[in-house]
Amino acid sequence: MAELGPVTCAGCGLLCDDVTVESSSEGVRLSPECAVGARWFSERMRRDDRAPAATVDGEVTDVESALRRAAELLRGARRPLVHGFEGATVEDARAAVALADRIGALVSTGAGAGPWPGAPAVPLRGASTATLGEIRDRSQLVVIWREDPESTHPRLLERLGLGAGSLSGAALAVIDDRDTATAGRADVRLSFPRERDLEALTSLHVLQRGLAVPSDDLNGLIERVRSVPHTAFVYGPGLTDGAGGQRRALALHELVRALCHERHVVTLELLFTPGTRGADDVLAWQTGYGGAVDFAGGHPEFVTATGPLEDVDVTLLVEPGPARVAEIALRSLPAGPGVEVWIRTAAAGVSAAGTAHRLDGVPLTLQAPEPDDAPTAAALLARLLDEVQR
Amino acid sequence: MTAIRISGGAVHDPANDVDGEIRDVCLEDGKVVADVGPDARRIDARGMVVMAGGVDIHAHIAGPKVNAARKLSPEDRRGDPLDRTEILRSGTGGVVPSTFATGYRYSLLGYTTVVEAAAPPLAARHVLAELRDTPMIDKAFLILMGNNQVLFDLIRQGGERIKDAVAWWLEATGGYGVKLVNPGGVERFKQGNGNVDSLDDEVAGFEVTPRQILEAIGGAVDELGLPHPVHIHANNLGVPGNAEVTLDTMRTLAGRQAHFAHLQFHCYGAPPSQPVGQLRSRAPELLEYLSDHPEITADVGQVMFGPAVTMTADAPVSAVLRDLGADKWINHDTEVETGCGIVPYRYRAGNYVHALQWGIGLELFLLGQNPWQVMLSTDHPNGGSFLSYPKLIRLLMDRAFRDDQIGRANRRAIRRTALLDGLDREYTLNEIAIITRAAPARRLGLSDKGHLGIGADADVTIYHDRADREEMFATPRYVIKDGEVVVEEGELRRVDEGMLLSCRPGFDPEVERVLEPLFGERYTMSFEHYPVRDPALREPARVVEARGS
Repeated sequence: MAELGPVTCAGCGLLCDDVTVESSSEGVRLSPECAVGARWFSERMRRDDRAPAATVDGEVTDVESALRRAAELLRGARRPLVHGFEGATVEDARAAVALADRIGALVSTGAGAGPWPGAPAVPLRGASTATLGEIRDRSQLVVIWREDPESTHPRLLERLGLGAGSLSGAALAVIDDRDTATAGRADVRLSFPRERDLEALTSLHVLQRGLAVPSDDLNGLIERVRSVPHTAFVYGPGLTDGAGGQRRALALHELVRALCHERHVVTLELLFTPGTRGADDVLAWQTGYGGAVDFAGGHPEFVTATGPLEDVDVTLLVEPGPARVAEIALRSLPAGPGVEVWIRTAAAGVSAAGTAHRLDGVPLTLQAPEPDDAPTAAALLARLLDEVQR
Repeated sequence: MTAIRISGGAVHDPANDVDGEIRDVCLEDGKVVADVGPDARRIDARGMVVMAGGVDIHAHIAGPKVNAARKLSPEDRRGDPLDRTEILRSGTGGVVPSTFATGYRYSLLGYTTVVEAAAPPLAARHVLAELRDTPMIDKAFLILMGNNQVLFDLIRQGGERIKDAVAWWLEATGGYGVKLVNPGGVERFKQGNGNVDSLDDEVAGFEVTPRQILEAIGGAVDELGLPHPVHIHANNLGVPGNAEVTLDTMRTLAGRQAHFAHLQFHCYGAPPSQPVGQLRSRAPELLEYLSDHPEITADVGQVMFGPAVTMTADAPVSAVLRDLGADKWINHDTEVETGCGIVPYRYRAGNYVHALQWGIGLELFLLGQNPWQVMLSTDHPNGGSFLSYPKLIRLLMDRAFRDDQIGRANRRAIRRTALLDGLDREYTLNEIAIITRAAPARRLGLSDKGHLGIGADADVTIYHDRADREEMFATPRYVIKDGEVVVEEGELRRVDEGMLLSCRPGFDPEVERVLEPLFGERYTMSFEHYPVRDPALREPARVVEARGS
């Protein structure tokens, strides 16, 4: 049995950096326990070493040949899209945006509301946010809005001071009409359908102003908020995905802003993948815009609609693919023969080191407890940029 | 490397007592040298003004707060794109430019060194990565320590370990110096206990006061002999009557070296209970104190009429702007260490408070007797973009232009300043060289920068000597970085990556045994993983020695 650690787990956006990994013939176990993290390490530590380094049109080839083919694809592309980033490091993202800049590509980091991050709410009015430790140490009430972190981010409640046996005394309120594991832990439970989210947030805002709303549940929640000096709202795609997501997110931030006049209230957005926040930060500092950027005009343009996607003819995916294997992959569209160029990369956090940004923005180092010879996505993308410019 | 002879220019090098003398400046291997061979490139600088590269002692250019401001205001940049070229990355400008644009535009302005003045240590990896993507300039960052709960614990325990802890944090982050922002006040805000009013208000739960924080950390920085003294954003920024707290802060640090950031925001008269219309200037008193205390320096934090983005670790200030009706507002609490507030803003000439702030800044420049003590800044982008420096220089050098601008500002506000008292001072080119490069470099402890003496870094800016000083300083004829011409006639010709400047004073390793359990109690990142070790983030760097090392 091999024991590695403590290392940073990139199994979800929490990036817990106190994890010890035990790997044996029976599988991978983490301490502290986390099913999501164990699965993540297991997929990456038990990779098939016979997997090829690269393929072109499904045929095994060497990395150099694959890069040459990839460069040809990109040079011939009319509307390339660079996307993915779910497991990307900051270093990967820096290299990917540099390439996108040179070839005039679209870039989407996957951050923001909806399947296409066209309409994040924060640029409209701002937000009040905090790191995990601030919420753990100050919030006496944590409101989780239509998310189930017990399943998706199993250590979130523990890290917010709401774990089993916690002495913080903080209360957990859950707004969800599903019987989730998180809802099962709630001290306060509000159960109404998703279609009522905007109405509920607006009503809470009205209640905050001292006006009447005929809802015992919402009156009870706002009284809870008023009874403590610090509250945190945790939200994610359960609130922001789909039609009207931007309006719902805006309503939450407006509510929090109004509450902040009398008390300290913050929000925490649940991101599910470890690479999304860092990639979005990189895109913002290199271009001035988060979410999605179009370099086609020779400079960054902020993308807020789905229109630019329609003409995409080549996509460059920066890890991971459907099989959750670390890779970069180029696919020509439409449909066609599938992935045309595929290059295996080292898995950041297992076989390669790097930097990732936690869902609250805190940057952490990913270690390489099982280093291997595969190149990082950052190194491949830099070589691809050289090849494209050749 | 190229050898260059800059020939026949009027050299303004106040650090070496050179005031407009026509002489050659020779560069080789990235340094100023006494002479170069006949094959050296010759730059004909006749009719031009030669200065060392500009040094910005206080700006906000990289890190999580700057990046949050970018995400907050896409409209700030939409109309100001920068196209990629064969050698340049694309980007966007506006008040808070993208990283590449920041580096390019500072270089086009003749600046070669810039200090990011407020970085949360916890975010050091982010700050370093952004600075790696900010080319053309050498850069350093100051780490925020004025609301650090671990340091509060150490102060309460007697403060014996503060010096080693400060040194440890600089080593762990790659930082250059120490910044105190509203010491104690930000922690109180995050607690929900408002702000501090005086230096003796206690921070609940820690039994420390702003005065104790200033004494302990300011003293530690002084004792360590860091190249740059403690850099202070005093309590009560922007509050009427805050001059009292500013003076109290200066007295508390008496005898120690200290630099006061954006002094303009900290020298207001009138009691806090008075309406804001009673705000008045106490700049003359602050300047008088400075003239008696050469150990204290300041940068002005001039506000410029037009767009700005207020971004600060002083989160309670941003909350006030929010309550005054700000359209957009970001608050971000960083565990253990600091806060953050961001509000896009616009200073208007007709607004009483804005005009008074503008006038107070000019008072600090024009009434101050010692330009080595009062340096140029707009607290970019809080008082306005760094791109407004040329206009600010013109305001200082050209009285007719200044009078015209004064005439456009709120009359009632201007009457409360000394600007209508026949203030006819016009800065000389040498004084401009002092406040924009010589004094900041000296105060930062960068002995190779801010001057053109033998052995100095070959960072040089050459200007056409134009009557319109704004135009002159906005478009240098040449900018030379590390001995290579990077800008000619307003165009970037060569990309220089720029160097990270850091300071790594030694510390007693026993301090880690003290810090580790405190980290365990307070941080959500492990002590083991906190220090930045990745060479790709930390190198290459020039390590500037501490005097106490």
